[in-house]
Amino acid sequence: MFTRKSVRTLLILLVILALGSIAGHAQDNSNVLVMARAADATGLDPHTQTAFASLRLLELIYEPLVTLDAQLNVVPALAESWEFSDDAQTLTVHLRQGVKFHDGSDLASADVVATFERILNEETGAATRANFLSIESMDAPDDSTVVFNLSQADVPILTAMTDVNASIMSSDVIANGDPTTDAIGTGPFMLESWQPEEQTILNANPDWWGDGPFVDGIDIRIIPDESSILAALRAGTIDFALLNDPLVATLLADDSTVVLNRAPAIAYHVLQLNAAREPLDKLEVRQAISCAIDRQEVLDTASLGEGQVTGPLTIPAYQLPLDGYFCYQKDLEKARELMAAAGMSDGFTLSVIAATAEPPTALSEAQNIQAQLAEINIAVEIESLELSVYVDRWLAADFDAAIALNGGRADPYTMYARYWTSTGNLNTVAGYRDDTLDSLMAAGRAESDPAARFETFADFQRHLVEMAPWIWLYTGYEYTAQQPYVVDFIPMPNDSLYYLNQVRLER
Amino acid sequence: MRYPSMWRYLTQRLIAFVPTLIGVSLLVFVAIRLVPGDTIIAMLGTEAGMLTESQRTALLEYFGLDKPAPEQYVTWLGNVAQGDLGYSVRHGAPVLSVIIQRFPVTLELAILAMIIALAIGVPIGLLSAIRHNSLIDLAGRLFALIGLAMPNFLLGTLIIYGLSVYFGILPNSGDYVEFTEAPLRNLQQLIFPAITLGFAFSASVMRTTRSAMLEVLGEDYVRTARSKGLRERTVIMRHTLRNALIPVVTLIGVEMGYLLGGAVVVEEIFALPGIGRLALNAISQRDYALVQGIALFVALNFLLINLLVDLLYAAIDSRISYAGQN
Amino acid sequence: MPAKIESIPARHEPPLLRRLLANRSGAVGLIIVVLFVVMAICGMFGLTPYPSVEQHPRDRLGAPSEQYLMGTDLFGRDVASRLIEGAGNSLRVAVLAVVLSGTLGTLIGMTSGYIGGMVDNILMRAMDVFFAFPAILLALLVVAILGPGVNTTVLAIAVVYTPIFARVARGPVLSVKAMDYILAARCLGLRGVRILFLHVLPNTLAPLIVQISLALSWALLTEAGLSFLGLGTQPPQASWGVMLSESRGIAEMAPWLMFFPGLAIMLGVLGFNLLGDGLRDVLDPRLRGIR
Repeated sequence: MFTRKSVRTLLILLVILALGSIAGHAQDNSNVLVMARAADATGLDPHTQTAFASLRLLELIYEPLVTLDAQLNVVPALAESWEFSDDAQTLTVHLRQGVKFHDGSDLASADVVATFERILNEETGAATRANFLSIESMDAPDDSTVVFNLSQADVPILTAMTDVNASIMSSDVIANGDPTTDAIGTGPFMLESWQPEEQTILNANPDWWGDGPFVDGIDIRIIPDESSILAALRAGTIDFALLNDPLVATLLADDSTVVLNRAPAIAYHVLQLNAAREPLDKLEVRQAISCAIDRQEVLDTASLGEGQVTGPLTIPAYQLPLDGYFCYQKDLEKARELMAAAGMSDGFTLSVIAATAEPPTALSEAQNIQAQLAEINIAVEIESLELSVYVDRWLAADFDAAIALNGGRADPYTMYARYWTSTGNLNTVAGYRDDTLDSLMAAGRAESDPAARFETFADFQRHLVEMAPWIWLYTGYEYTAQQPYVVDFIPMPNDSLYYLNQVRLER
Repeated sequence: MRYPSMWRYLTQRLIAFVPTLIGVSLLVFVAIRLVPGDTIIAMLGTEAGMLTESQRTALLEYFGLDKPAPEQYVTWLGNVAQGDLGYSVRHGAPVLSVIIQRFPVTLELAILAMIIALAIGVPIGLLSAIRHNSLIDLAGRLFALIGLAMPNFLLGTLIIYGLSVYFGILPNSGDYVEFTEAPLRNLQQLIFPAITLGFAFSASVMRTTRSAMLEVLGEDYVRTARSKGLRERTVIMRHTLRNALIPVVTLIGVEMGYLLGGAVVVEEIFALPGIGRLALNAISQRDYALVQGIALFVALNFLLINLLVDLLYAAIDSRISYAGQN
Repeated sequence: MPAKIESIPARHEPPLLRRLLANRSGAVGLIIVVLFVVMAICGMFGLTPYPSVEQHPRDRLGAPSEQYLMGTDLFGRDVASRLIEGAGNSLRVAVLAVVLSGTLGTLIGMTSGYIGGMVDNILMRAMDVFFAFPAILLALLVVAILGPGVNTTVLAIAVVYTPIFARVARGPVLSVKAMDYILAARCLGLRGVRILFLHVLPNTLAPLIVQISLALSWALLTEAGLSFLGLGTQPPQASWGVMLSESRGIAEMAPWLMFFPGLAIMLGVLGFNLLGDGLRDVLDPRLRGIR
């Protein structure tokens, strides 16, 4: 049955196949960008898909009215210009002319109105709805003008409009199509095919309003294991990759053959304390925890020092010097005094929840914090949970403390209203509220003068750090990596891939 | 082989599938609903907290999860009986078509791993048994022991690392093409994962072949054949191999049964869109219909393979007849 | 393990241990397993060079040296100490999983085979369901329901192996049941349970013991596989699987993080396999003539 000859033939065949893989560089002359990432989108509806992995795909297909540049300034996208009325209660948006949807229809003000009506409709299930509740009514005086009438002064609404979740959909699709399958946007790339967890093919949109795209399309491949992505980059079988794990990314730092892009992230690593629970309801206990943790050590251990220690606001324009914050230098003596003042010198057991691989550094952070807090007799118990279970517990505020990587926004109000206003959707998750925070947030929302706004939010940050409901740790980098012949990509602090529309391949 | 009894046997076996599959369906239906967190949380993550109560209700209704569980089960089972495994919310497609699209990868990987295992395991096993206690035997057994002891993710990692860093070559990953489309490219993509799986598999095959062969070589009829002065090669080929293969067939059946359930770890490392990854993702995304569909599909495969193995026994060994089993 | 093995009644033959030591595979396997067990016991009682969770931030990712024999990890923890603690946890998971599935499976298999009829039918049908249920999916579901951790890993492995033990135990019971001396015992009026444990069990032990040593090696590998997926033992607790999977990202920077736990797992599995081979050679009468 298995003669020696047949065995030999088989082995030879195997060797030939193995060697044949040298021909791995399959797309040598093509102008298609081959991109790899570990996680895939969970769906195609830009209004309900909120996972980072979904946004990274949808922002290539759909566009919002306004978008962000690399410095996180609001810049035109589908809206060419806009203005607030003096009382900040009316926002008038002028649409760009000659923009076409992927199905060939023209963008008109009716599409914008239909889009925001869909977002505001509770049946849609759009999470971003909470950011647009101040929209009282919308008018479309002509085909290229939309007027948003707001119930109160709401400056941050403009930044909320940069969200992929506020992308403009065609009114025709909203009325007659199915947005979960028909990906008809205005963006630089058009969806050719989507095989979940496998491969997505995007074609360049020849009618895109901007200058670009300069590639014929993008071939997005899902390679779930980041070490394998690294291997594929080195072997040259992919052109561009998204990386999450700083340990994997740093391996590329000294690699001469692959270019690593690091954009300082606005997402922040944080230890959330649940101040609604004993003994964390005692200010001294929370402050003691804040004083006992060397944030730089957490960063050095969990992310090999890849990042910066941060306060609450991670947007460069609003950042404050760290030494102005309460206890940003590790001070064990003070921490012990605070514990004594709270009558907790003997310590207590603190249960910390962390998701298993989201972010990849979560368990490392938890372990380092565990070691550090042991010094003030706090015994940390780490509960690592599968992501959905973690989110379930997190949303129910069913935890003493949680390790989290929370997304940042370009505007401080949009970023924190959900947590630090007493009516915020996630205020129970934040576990703490006070009048100072409420009044500072309200002031920040209505204020349109940048300098005054900066001061308001500076007070907000200092107060928040002193009350220590959460222990802000650090911000890392958003990593992308590319072959040297991939040029003109602009890495974004919010990890957005929108500027793949500028990428060129110079093989 | 008497045909009427074979048909009766086949029918009996196939009917026996039904209660097993119903058991599997009930088990998976209950188990996936015991997992905390639901489809909405899996889809929206922490943003789910921004939803109002009526937004949540609207989404549950959309996913068909608003009905009581027993009602959902009965509806689902009724549909399954008509060949409709349900709709995967994650893939936006019928569960059956999602599975059928992924299954060829798993099947091909399993078959390749089996070929590798047989091509390496059987000859080494035979050689080890014939040259019992020789240096060859020792080397063969050592190979098998290492093969069994190597965690496959370690082997896979080492292969990928070695190929990419030391040789700068690596088959394209993440853009799986089917065999019918581009055979060579397809084989390139599957060969290393197949080696990863086949290594441990070949070790089991080698051990089984060796011990089965040793056992058969010790039996009377082989001694008789030898004493009649037949050439060693003839003795082995004609008299022993056939019977020694029976335990190997059993082993192949068991291993194939497991491999067809998907090789999660290897599929993850080599970015192959197989059943294992599909199952892992379906669970983490709480894609209930898909998880249920996969469980049923894989269970059916498993049962069919067992049946096939039993039929193969009879073909190889005339001593076994269907009449003897119940 | 050795203590257990000695307690097997061996009536007319030299003690099992001596026969095992005379067998090459058995001897080598036994030595490795004993070393493993000693290491595991040290780990369970914290007899390690450093406390296994003690972090030395200044000595992060240090190569093997006099101070740290096997180097340090990302947190500056001593790899050697973690390897010893890991032996404890890995062995605990493997042994508990096998004891659980072995006991449960054997009980089900024996009861089923001995009583026969309806009971046999129902129990074996139930086992069929677990058998046919995709093993990976079953393990993943158990972990998803209960949350990752040592106990869950034990349960996930046990659920998968229980039906295997049930089948292994049932077969011999069927043949032993029909033997004369059991029939005689029945005639003497002995009760079912007594017959089962005094007369049937000892006769099914040989295949079970072999199965146990093999299952231990599988359990070690499965624990490693689950840990690779982030679903096994949870840090800061160390197990060989966790150490190995933690090392994947940084093995390039710090190869010792992958080398030592990888070697440990392979030796551990090797030991159990060799021991299983040895035991089979010694216990299985069909093969004894060949040696």
